[in-house]
Amino acid sequence: MVRCSACGHGPLNSLLCPHCGAPQAVEVDCFAALGIPRKLVIDTRRLERIYHELSRKLHPDRFAARGVQLRDASLKSTALLTRAYRTLRDPVARGRYWLELLGEKLGDNNRVPPGLAATVFQVQEELEELREAHSTGAGRVAELVAGVAKCRKDLEVQLGKELAALEENFMRWDENGSQDRTPLIAALKERLSRIAYLKTLVRDVEHHLEEAAPA
Amino acid sequence: MSRIFGIDLGTTNSLIAVMDGPHPRVVSDPASGAALLPSVVAILPAGGVAVGERAIEMEPHLMAEKDGTVAPAGLPGTDQGAVIRSVKRYMGLGGTDLAEGDRKRYVFTELDGPVVRFKIGERVYTPPQISAEILRALKTRAETALGESVERVVITVPAYFNDAQRQATRDAGRLAGLTVERLVNEPTAASLAYGLHKMAAGRVAVYDLGGGTFDISILTLREGIFEVVATNGDTHLGGDDIDHLILELMLEGLPDDVRNERRVWNSARQVAEDGKRRLSEQERVDLRLELPGRTVERVLTRDQLERLAEPLVERTLKCCRTALRDARLETGEIDAVVLVGGATRMPLVRRRVGELFGREPLCSLDPDQVVALGAAVQAGILMGDRDDLLLLDVVPLSLGIETMGGVTERLIHRNTTIPTSVTEMFTTAADSQTHVDIHVLQGERELARDCRSLARFKLGPIEPKPAGVPRIAVTFLIDANGILHVMANEEETGAGHMVEVKPSYGLTEEEIERMLEEAIDHGEDDIEQRLLIAARNDAEQILAALGKQLKEWGHLATDDECRRFSEVAARLEAVRKGEDRELIAGTVQELNDLSTPFAERIMDEAIRRTLEKRSVEDLP
Repeated sequence: MVRCSACGHGPLNSLLCPHCGAPQAVEVDCFAALGIPRKLVIDTRRLERIYHELSRKLHPDRFAARGVQLRDASLKSTALLTRAYRTLRDPVARGRYWLELLGEKLGDNNRVPPGLAATVFQVQEELEELREAHSTGAGRVAELVAGVAKCRKDLEVQLGKELAALEENFMRWDENGSQDRTPLIAALKERLSRIAYLKTLVRDVEHHLEEAAPA
Repeated sequence: MSRIFGIDLGTTNSLIAVMDGPHPRVVSDPASGAALLPSVVAILPAGGVAVGERAIEMEPHLMAEKDGTVAPAGLPGTDQGAVIRSVKRYMGLGGTDLAEGDRKRYVFTELDGPVVRFKIGERVYTPPQISAEILRALKTRAETALGESVERVVITVPAYFNDAQRQATRDAGRLAGLTVERLVNEPTAASLAYGLHKMAAGRVAVYDLGGGTFDISILTLREGIFEVVATNGDTHLGGDDIDHLILELMLEGLPDDVRNERRVWNSARQVAEDGKRRLSEQERVDLRLELPGRTVERVLTRDQLERLAEPLVERTLKCCRTALRDARLETGEIDAVVLVGGATRMPLVRRRVGELFGREPLCSLDPDQVVALGAAVQAGILMGDRDDLLLLDVVPLSLGIETMGGVTERLIHRNTTIPTSVTEMFTTAADSQTHVDIHVLQGERELARDCRSLARFKLGPIEPKPAGVPRIAVTFLIDANGILHVMANEEETGAGHMVEVKPSYGLTEEEIERMLEEAIDHGEDDIEQRLLIAARNDAEQILAALGKQLKEWGHLATDDECRRFSEVAARLEAVRKGEDRELIAGTVQELNDLSTPFAERIMDEAIRRTLEKRSVEDLP
């Protein structure tokens, strides 16, 4: 374990020395960076407040007139804090990071996750039709655009449901205690890959809609 | 320790500001009272420089004239100096980034090099060296006005400035002998100027329409913390484009050879800009362009101007909508709109922006000063005077590396709060490979070739090992200035050893050192040069004045005087373009002495006439 570079207090597992308040250029995990317990369910409003409080104390603006070492520690610790905040603030990034901490990895995005096949097929078909009509200048473009726009709406609703379900995955994990984690890991992985796939699909649809939009 | 000053280093004008108690204020020129310093630098024939209004005054003397048209300044082989405007547009550019129009305007050298260089006669200057002159002039202005030394500064940059442009700005500060404590994005700085932190919480939009660029930033504000959540913009859209539309309207129907004449174009641009300004106050203006042999006159109404400008304003609104979407906000959720840049004085802009956000934009501060004022507030934060405030800015462009097949792998997404860092693992592709090349890119496109190449780093030396065995952890860190730092560690024994990282762009440390040594001479040379220009101006003035007097009051001069006037005037005419300052000054003196009795007679006569007139008027 590391000790405070300014006052020697230690061992430290935070970006800020609790004893003298000096910023620390140490590698800590995202939860330690924000000084919160390792739980998947996070109140993001509270997280923002913590982030702001820590920023006030760590930010390089606070050390402009100080020595090189403090300035460097402030820069590195703030960079890490920012990264940690962005990771934990977003539930999807948080879930992925959680798997990473467990040494697990999400599979590649190219395989259609189970349960999404029908949706994917339908969306791809509509996009194909739009693409064709757009390139040949056929008159049905407006009608097809409306269809694809509806697709996007449906996908967003589905994405919303998955994100709500992700919060449930998180809750189950936090309540699980010391029981077998294998089924939880599998469920989390499945949820995250469905979300990733849906997001790619939404982007694809948006891209097509932009292309088809009148200049 | 000395105070920190805030500097807005603008394309057209630059300003310096400082905290005055709790409020920021712009430091005006003690002599002229002007707040704005035109960002114009004159490189004088003998090596000195002039900045601002003085540079503008010298422009006619420093233009290379050929066959009646004004040729690009700094023509090769001529050593008469040059006037450089809008140097900011060249900051951080490499030779290959130059457009054809740029090469028409100035002469550049080392076009295949990493840094654009202006060639003026035998001399060569980089954009940071020219910018440094503007910074130096601001420093001198504040030192003269306030009687304290200016050493530490905050400089603002457009939100959309990439890494190379930011580095170049920082280099300029160093070359001017300043410590650049921080680079701040212009719109972000502007948000600090209005004292909005008095709101406990809110969302702020900063709409910045400058001469040549447009920026929009969306910030959230909570208990004194300003957090940028999205930025967007267009680097090729600004008030100049509106001037250009008016100019086109004026030159419409003129033959090409007249339109293409630089002098015609320049004066038309001035008339256009002036017309645009006046239309912010008036409903209609008369545009009048004097050309050799003809006068072009047009009436322009505000309605017409607004129809012309509408598509441009619509483009800015499109950027605003994208920024709002990135911030996941609706237009009605913005609590305050701050306007920045001279072009936001246009009623059309204020109206459209107000409509989009559903509220009146704030405009109590001068839109030309608001960025500098904000920079001063940021300076106050850095001095520890404002610990209730903190600005959390973002990186405007995504940062990535080139991977197999020329695809960009994004490591840091745009709109990520800075400072931030990311660590990536690299390895070797071949046995016994001792170096790994990393190509860092900036931009949003999928393919590496469509992004801006930021730097090529060579990692190494690595101990020779089979392919894939070495593990090199490379950390990309973007600091609070938006500038990239790269650190690499080879993780072979767990102890990790530092791998040297060499950037391949911008000015090298050695080059900066050399430029500092060879700094443009600001000593006697400069004074001599100024005196020469002053003597030339005196000569021009006395010749013009005498000519006018002879025309109007010729009957008061004797024949003998007239003969001697023309003899000395001819001599002065011959020497005034030369380099011999004392000869010019001496001849001016001679002509002055010679014409004094004549001038006195004119004065007497004029007074007599005035008195006569008055006595007639005074009659009951």
